[in-house]
Amino acid sequence: MNQILLITDGGSNVGVSPVVAAAQAYEEGIIVNVAGVIDDGSIGEYGASEIAEIARAGGGMSRIVSTKQLSQTVQMMTRQTVVGTIRQAVNQELRQVFGVSSVEALPPPKRAEVVRVMEDMGETTPLRVALVIDASASMKPKLLAVEEAIRDLSLSLQARTGESMAAVFHFPGEQEPCVLDTPWTSSTERFGSLFGKLRMRGTTPTGPALLRAIEYFRESYGKIMTEDVHPASLLKQDDTDGMRSGYVV
Amino acid sequence: MATSSEKQLSPGTILTGKWNGRKYKLERLLGVGANGQVYLATYGRAACAIKLGKDVSDLQAEANILASLDHREKKQPFLLDVDDAMLSGNQVPFYVMQYVPGTAVRTYLRKHGTEWFGVIGYRLLRRLSELHEAGWVFGDIKNDNILVSDYGRIALVDYGGMTASGRGIRQFTEIYDRGYWSAGSRTADPAYDWFSTAVLWIHALDEKRLLYLTRTLLPQNRDPGELLGLVKSHPSLKPLSGWFERALHGRFESTQEAAESWREAVHAASGAKSPSAPRVPGWMAGVFALSLLLCISLMAIWLFS
Repeated sequence: MNQILLITDGGSNVGVSPVVAAAQAYEEGIIVNVAGVIDDGSIGEYGASEIAEIARAGGGMSRIVSTKQLSQTVQMMTRQTVVGTIRQAVNQELRQVFGVSSVEALPPPKRAEVVRVMEDMGETTPLRVALVIDASASMKPKLLAVEEAIRDLSLSLQARTGESMAAVFHFPGEQEPCVLDTPWTSSTERFGSLFGKLRMRGTTPTGPALLRAIEYFRESYGKIMTEDVHPASLLKQDDTDGMRSGYVV
Repeated sequence: MATSSEKQLSPGTILTGKWNGRKYKLERLLGVGANGQVYLATYGRAACAIKLGKDVSDLQAEANILASLDHREKKQPFLLDVDDAMLSGNQVPFYVMQYVPGTAVRTYLRKHGTEWFGVIGYRLLRRLSELHEAGWVFGDIKNDNILVSDYGRIALVDYGGMTASGRGIRQFTEIYDRGYWSAGSRTADPAYDWFSTAVLWIHALDEKRLLYLTRTLLPQNRDPGELLGLVKSHPSLKPLSGWFERALHGRFESTQEAAESWREAVHAASGAKSPSAPRVPGWMAGVFALSLLLCISLMAIWLFS
């Protein structure tokens, strides 16, 4: 399961539209979530609507939060996206196998069984999150909170049973629109001090940065659409473990 | 997606189970958790607690955990029913639990005196030890999730954070979280609960300084040593600082050992105080000295006169 998490504080102003880039990501099997960080209401109407649009095009969700809430929000969005993706896959399976539209339509004992499988999948599916960080001048006072949010997210990723990787980009770079700071890693230590040496610049090439992240997914994992959630286990589990559903009154 | 300002249901609302057909009458809101609201309710004449959720899967996941816990512990079941109800046109999932009366730890201590914390702490560790032996980690230990009733009896409520050992903690509260304090991972293991238990007591007895610390400390400076600093400078916690040091750093062999070590430390702390208890208060010694002085001077006056 692949996600891009964009952390920004406002409107892009250079290069391809980030909304188009996000749509492209979604097309390639990468979900795009956006956290808009504000501390003094500086995001503006334009920035806010762009943030919402990027997430909509990228099949993800967006939140506009203060630096204090950033860690929690980043975690919540990552987790919810995993849960949501699995739910979609499971619901599709339910339609095909049981002819019901969703988990809600199952009687509680059956539901208990399905949810158990969903939880297992959520915990064990391989997960890759590329964090794309807006480091334009106005973000400077917020980068400490961003670093903290990344550290916090990596802690939660590390605790998962399944393979969990994160990579960090920031934009703009000195020459190129976007720089890879930390390649795929599953260790928290690698995210020590990310942006200590950054020289802040004015432009905000959000679109090109997203394209760079998509490119990186492609470079490291080839065609990404192919491997994904396999709710096929749902059926097997159901047949062999039918007894367990008896626990729930 | 989810809105935090959920509407409260009014007392008297009847929930009718879609699948099992039981009718429950809501009495009052007991609390609001991360994935739903908990109400005190009645089924016929029996009291029970009902958790109404926003999300079927989240709620069912919790119910699953309660069910497997019931299955494992073979006591009176805690989970009584799982069902859906129609409320103003929406299907709302809910589950029904035993009603546990009691108040949150901090409130209890404020009302009945801090001297209760030794007993309550021991009981909490014993309860955690049962869960840990069954392969679970409670995860979301915090003031609101531990209810204390008469004579310091405790019950854990809100099992939303309960996690199978070895998996990622499902739900936690920042200031009780081991990861937040850079004291280790978010992987469920018994030590995760020891850490939160240590923070619980600091929170229960010294909330002001704990909250001040979390507000002012920079993220990169969060460290269990800071918490230990609070322990060592608090009169009731200081005698137990050895226990806290081990809990904050995960240095127990088992939760059983953590409980025994707590009991001994509490015992020693109250034992250490008792020889000093009959000690003469300062003012009395002062008065005695004064009267002695007076006596001597009177005698001197009488002798020399």
